[in-house]
Amino acid sequence: MSLDLQVRAHVYDATMRGGAIPRIADVAAALGVPAEEIRESLGRLATGRVLVLQGDGEILMANPFSAVPTPFIVAAGGRLYYGNCIWDALGIAAMLRCDAVVDTSCGDCGTAARVEVRGGAVRGDGIMHFAIRARDWWKDIVFN
Amino acid sequence: MLFFRSEEHVDRWCASWHLGRGAVLSLETGWKLAEAWYGPDRRDPQWRRRTLEETEALFAELGFTSEFWSLR
Repeated sequence: MSLDLQVRAHVYDATMRGGAIPRIADVAAALGVPAEEIRESLGRLATGRVLVLQGDGEILMANPFSAVPTPFIVAAGGRLYYGNCIWDALGIAAMLRCDAVVDTSCGDCGTAARVEVRGGAVRGDGIMHFAIRARDWWKDIVFN
Repeated sequence: MLFFRSEEHVDRWCASWHLGRGAVLSLETGWKLAEAWYGPDRRDPQWRRRTLEETEALFAELGFTSEFWSLR
């Protein structure tokens, strides 16, 4: 398996099992590969739109997961995760294939809201809004 | 993609950001999209990003046929 496939598999596996996206040093230690090679691999994965990186080269997004706190907190399988958006928050439940509770808030007024996924069905009092046209999603993936 | 209490709140948010209204999905439809998009295991070496044509087919399956969802 190529290094990029190993890195992708490890990043997702560590995130799904542990709740937090691993840092470059963690991936390097886990795979027994020099950190600089991991950094280069992450760069290639980001170019391929598999990951989004922070300015220092660490991972910002391994969609649907966020490495930094967001207003989309997902409790699932006894762990807490951050989703990048409401779509990704539901995506975490889909990726983990388990029930989940999403604690978020209204993007307009900030009122707290809870969305639940139970038994493969979603429940909640609200809607989702996609502001950016689909063809433009990757022009500013952080805003999107 | 944000969560809103209602369409009225979507319109207020769009106005405050000087953005036109985008696409509003029910949670049920959003969940179907999330399942289709994120269900495949990204740890699997065989996983790859969808092609443009595959994404278009998924959008069509979910009823996303307006210009907003066009990828071209």
